[in-house]
Amino acid sequence: MIDKLPEGKSIGWMQAPPQWIFTHTIRFVGVVRVVIQDGEGFILIKKGKPLVYYFKHGRIELHGHGALDYFNSHPTIEFNLCKYTPEEFAQALKICNIDDSMADEEIAAEKGAAIPARAEEEDTIGVGDASAIHRLVQPATRPVRAEPPADAPPAAAPMKQASYAPPQPEPAATAQPEFSVPERTAETVSEKPAPPAEAALVQPEPVMTVRPASPVAAKPEAAVPVMPAAAIPVKPAAAAPAKPAIAAKDRVFVPQPAVLEDPDIKIIGQIKKLNGIVAISVFNEDRNILLMGDVEIEPLLKIARTMLATTRKITPHLDWGSFVHMTLQIPEGNVIIAPYRDNHLCILTTRTINIGHIRRILRDLQQDRDHGGVL
Amino acid sequence: MLKQILNKFLILNDVQAALVVQENGEIIESMKSGITIRQDLQDAIATIMLDSRKTATQFGNAPLSMVFVEFSESFLILGPVMEEFYLVIIAKNTANIGQITYEMKKNQDAIISLL
Repeated sequence: MIDKLPEGKSIGWMQAPPQWIFTHTIRFVGVVRVVIQDGEGFILIKKGKPLVYYFKHGRIELHGHGALDYFNSHPTIEFNLCKYTPEEFAQALKICNIDDSMADEEIAAEKGAAIPARAEEEDTIGVGDASAIHRLVQPATRPVRAEPPADAPPAAAPMKQASYAPPQPEPAATAQPEFSVPERTAETVSEKPAPPAEAALVQPEPVMTVRPASPVAAKPEAAVPVMPAAAIPVKPAAAAPAKPAIAAKDRVFVPQPAVLEDPDIKIIGQIKKLNGIVAISVFNEDRNILLMGDVEIEPLLKIARTMLATTRKITPHLDWGSFVHMTLQIPEGNVIIAPYRDNHLCILTTRTINIGHIRRILRDLQQDRDHGGVL
Repeated sequence: MLKQILNKFLILNDVQAALVVQENGEIIESMKSGITIRQDLQDAIATIMLDSRKTATQFGNAPLSMVFVEFSESFLILGPVMEEFYLVIIAKNTANIGQITYEMKKNQDAIISLL
């Protein structure tokens, strides 16, 4: 089925938690192509509403919740956002055997159901108060308890009978952690922030022959080179040794807050497309928020955080204005860190990169931030 | 003699200081214009040197080629010259970085011969 879908316009490959996809596609119409180990799948999305979940590994196919559960059983997945034109989307719906009007009705029903939430927001903030809205986006400032399970992600719209029916995940009620998600902007309050299915909170063992993706945090902390060329480790390939299967079952999935908006992703994607950019990551103290590029994130993050710690040590001693960036150059390339809104950017480049170009971009990003402009 | 070489940097547009510094922060030689090298700046330079070398080891012990730290008003470029000696250039953000790094590479051997 994947092969039949229209290609769409690729926005870029990313690595992020599955929930990230749902919280960042409120205006997106297209397909999210997911690659996990040797298998591939997709999520057909219309303005934040997932219509089809599908995953295939060899002859095994997962549809609907089975596929969603499998996606959710990974802390992060690699995916490519591909925008569809209305024609392409109509074609994709047809391929997936979905009635377009049915998809629209479901979206309309969701919007209707979300009106009280929007009204509640308007009581507390001015609708036009962009800064207040922006504050709401920040997870630490005002988290909101997720809706009860009734809010679980909508099941995939009716489609052809799955050729493989995965067993339902075990009930997770006893071990279910409190689940909170950040609110989005007033404009996007109506969005269902892709609440993981019940089972996603305590991960079921994926009922597939594929290995669960190894959680990046579980990788050894040893000094691992992350630079381009021979030194750069690519993400686990099919030949990588299988990880213990217990991981997925014991793992408690912590929903990731939405931090980046669509324009941010576009900007990061544009930077990634520049010649010589190997990878770009948006990260904060706790975790990687977004990664574009084919590198192991943990070693890169470790280096980025060490550099960040250095800048924090020296900045109070220098009255040279605000920190713009720090670039570490080694024979294989450069690692650049720079503040980016409330987070930080880490850019991995080849040696041949035009540092002046990157420097100008970073300065522009900061100026936009300082002037409160929308990037 | 070292001062003469450092002066080649100082004559570049908006370069404020050129220093040869030891890893412990001790200044071996310096040429500066319109800037005071205070102790906290020295400490900051020492921190960058030590931390950057440490960070570079995380890349499979790669040798450090250069470190560039930029702030909104000024920036600092630090390049290892030999062993624990570094050449540090401090400049306003309007300075030409390409020219500075070119001069750093061009004069590296001359500096080494004088250390």
